[in-house]
Amino acid sequence: MATIGNNNLNAKLVLLGDMGAGKSSLVLRFVKGQFLEFQESTIGAAFFSQTLAVNDATVKFEIWDTAGQERYHSLAPMYYRGAAAAIIVYDITSMESFTRAKKWVQELQKQGNPNMVMALAGNKADLEDKRKVTAEEARTYAEENGLFFMETSAKTAINVNDIFYEIAKRLPRAQPAQNPAGMVLVDRPAERSRSAACCS
Amino acid sequence: MSESSTMQEGESHDLSDDADYAASQQQGSTSISQNGSGGRTVMNEADRAQVVYQKDNVTIHPTQYASERISGRLRLIKQGSSLFMTWIPYKATPSGNDLTRQNSNVRSAERDRNLYTIRPVPFTDVRSIRRHTPTLGWQYIIVVLSSGLAFPPLYFYNGGVREFLATLKEHAFLVRSADDANAFLVNDFQDPLQKSLSSLELPRAVSVANSPSTLVPASPSPFAESSGRTDRDSCDGSPSASLYSERSRQKVHDPAHDLSIQVLEKFSLLTKYARETTSQLLREIHGDNYGAFERKNEFQSLPSSVHDGRSNDIVKVPDEAPVASDPLETSALVKQKIPCKKQNHGEEAATKVGTFELVNCKEFDKLALVWGKPRQPPLGPEEWTTFLDSEGRVMDSKALKKRIFYGGIEHELRNEIWKFLLGYHKYDSTYAEREYLASIKKSEYETIKHQWQSISPAQAKRFTKFRERKGLIEKDVVRTDRSISFYDGDDNTNVALLHDILLTYSFYNFDLGYCQGMSDLLSPILYVMKDESESFWCFVALMERLGPNFNRDQNGMHSQLFALSKLVELLDSPLHNYFKQKDCLNYFFCFRWVLIQFKREFEYEKIMLLWEVLWTHYLSEHLHLYVCVAILKRYRKKIMGDQMDFDTVLKFINELSGHIDLDATLKDAEALCMCAGENGEACIPPGTPPSLPIEDTGSLYPQQDDD
Repeated sequence: MATIGNNNLNAKLVLLGDMGAGKSSLVLRFVKGQFLEFQESTIGAAFFSQTLAVNDATVKFEIWDTAGQERYHSLAPMYYRGAAAAIIVYDITSMESFTRAKKWVQELQKQGNPNMVMALAGNKADLEDKRKVTAEEARTYAEENGLFFMETSAKTAINVNDIFYEIAKRLPRAQPAQNPAGMVLVDRPAERSRSAACCS
Repeated sequence: MSESSTMQEGESHDLSDDADYAASQQQGSTSISQNGSGGRTVMNEADRAQVVYQKDNVTIHPTQYASERISGRLRLIKQGSSLFMTWIPYKATPSGNDLTRQNSNVRSAERDRNLYTIRPVPFTDVRSIRRHTPTLGWQYIIVVLSSGLAFPPLYFYNGGVREFLATLKEHAFLVRSADDANAFLVNDFQDPLQKSLSSLELPRAVSVANSPSTLVPASPSPFAESSGRTDRDSCDGSPSASLYSERSRQKVHDPAHDLSIQVLEKFSLLTKYARETTSQLLREIHGDNYGAFERKNEFQSLPSSVHDGRSNDIVKVPDEAPVASDPLETSALVKQKIPCKKQNHGEEAATKVGTFELVNCKEFDKLALVWGKPRQPPLGPEEWTTFLDSEGRVMDSKALKKRIFYGGIEHELRNEIWKFLLGYHKYDSTYAEREYLASIKKSEYETIKHQWQSISPAQAKRFTKFRERKGLIEKDVVRTDRSISFYDGDDNTNVALLHDILLTYSFYNFDLGYCQGMSDLLSPILYVMKDESESFWCFVALMERLGPNFNRDQNGMHSQLFALSKLVELLDSPLHNYFKQKDCLNYFFCFRWVLIQFKREFEYEKIMLLWEVLWTHYLSEHLHLYVCVAILKRYRKKIMGDQMDFDTVLKFINELSGHIDLDATLKDAEALCMCAGENGEACIPPGTPPSLPIEDTGSLYPQQDDD
């Protein structure tokens, strides 16, 4: 298991956070390089994929973008189950969204994959004059809870690729075979044959 | 070659209402394209036949002697929207057992081969199929024709009966008999209306309708007409292709729809009779106690088109036609460069069962041809007044709903008519009553609105729930349809109206509150109504039905998605099985479709059309679920062919947004709804939104607080 196939890693990543914190905007910036001032709300969930090269390997992120409203909370486990990584997003101009982010962290610590790489993203970093959550507060919280932290701006693209890149670097190299229980990440035939070739 | 084209022309005039016309049409046109001077470039996409199922070593036992058994290849061939079955015996091979016997036996075996060959028989001619799966021995099927005659049992030496039936089910309407789990009625419909169609054998007419030259007899060549449909069978599931094919289909086939519907309505009374006849027939064949002799005799008395003297001409062409669409076999035939004789198939031993393509299922194209009425132009002002009496009452609300169902409403009339459709106005109200109601409701709205308007900043500070709600709404309205000019720009007053109406609603229905998706539902209503109070009350009326979509426990959504899974199981079991295998039966990839009634899937104008069609509840309160099925079926080939998992299905479906042909989808949905009939409604638990709640007990929306 140790090294085989590690040059090409598939990683399920889920974005969680309060509504309007900028989850979809972060993904769209990362995947398509786009930003919409009025990004419409996410109904249900959206799925994207994007591949990053990290050192001598590539990581293909399979990204689940979820609806933020608390009302849809009951759907979230369906999307974070089996995830290798999570980005918990809050809006630096909203203390409520930071509170909500902490709740997501708690839930993932309780329910999620124990090896999950968790990132805390303080989004809308471009809105410095409206800031309600200091970077220090968030960083302290992140350190205490074993997350890594970055302030991002989907609008200006600051730290957006970086946060995904950082996750990619932190993913355990010997990623266990994809979670068989989840609805996620079934090996694509091409990849299967490639790894088969490696083995032989 | 000239022979076959002559034959084709002759038949197109003489046999235009003959049941086998479709088959001969297929043969004729294919033979031209096969033999035309332009070679394969003449090949007409629309008429291309496709082998959708093929099984080798399917054998007939003419007698009890093993030596006289005849093995061959069974195929299902799809051409246009017609499906044919063939069984072609293998050429007698020198190594065969029968050669160890006397020569006369060989000769008689040869004769039997001719005798038993099943030349392409259209499934419109098939009444039922009975499956026998003895614990010992081979599985076999018996195919019973509409005429009451049956082919001899076809023994599947290599298995594959289940696959045969599954494939058949994909392309023809197949119903398991209520009396016998092993009997499948073809072209039989549970719904009385559809059953009458079956009893009249109108599906034949449908097949005929698929041949353009029938509708346009003056057409000099079938190609001239067919060329407009070039994309039909090459439809690869990409939005543009299907869009194109739908449009052209509609253009070509409209007359047939009306014809079928009319005939259908007239003869619906024949239903019961047809059902009884079929059941009786099935009882008769039940048990398969026919002697070989009897079977043989029956078979010999088959209609001449299936089995007759000119068979050599007829047989070779359609037998070859499907091959043309199959890349693997095409090359073989090109090499042979001859119209294959029916015995040639012994040489192609390799079974292709594993390679048959998942066909972009057109079986419901066929249904749509029968059922999906052509869409009409929207209801305009002049026609609208004809629905009203002098005091403004809608005289025949059913007729109005039907009219809107098939054509929608011209935009200027929407603000008037939507109020009826949504249930805000009663159909039997007068102009005066409605005017009065509007004024009452306006002040009522203002009262409710005042409830939150009067909350002072100091009070708001101590009213977390209010602040949260307001915050949610503020976040959403600024990102709702801002690309529509009605809502674009800074400080847009309509955006402010969205906010006010939603916040007022969250007070009017405090238990439900505000939930993401509501702004999507309100946006077109405000766009149509232009008036704050009227928009509010229309939204209230809509939420009476859709409110449960937003319940915290998701039960409204769950019940709809559950019903959807049942409907897909009923209407497309291969797709259902596929989703089952992929662990996709929760249908959450359709969540957005259902939650906000496809609001994100179509451009604005189309959403309004779709909604008014859905709101008529003309065929079903749950037409939106049939719309889901129709879209899924439209892309089934892509979904299954690409082996999509839940994640890729979700991505694919989200990305379909803006690429779905609404008119074609509505026609398909209508057809599916009609076909499903009572069985379809039985898939939908009572009280499933948008049905009104079954019982009115105190709190309609028991929610836990959002924190």
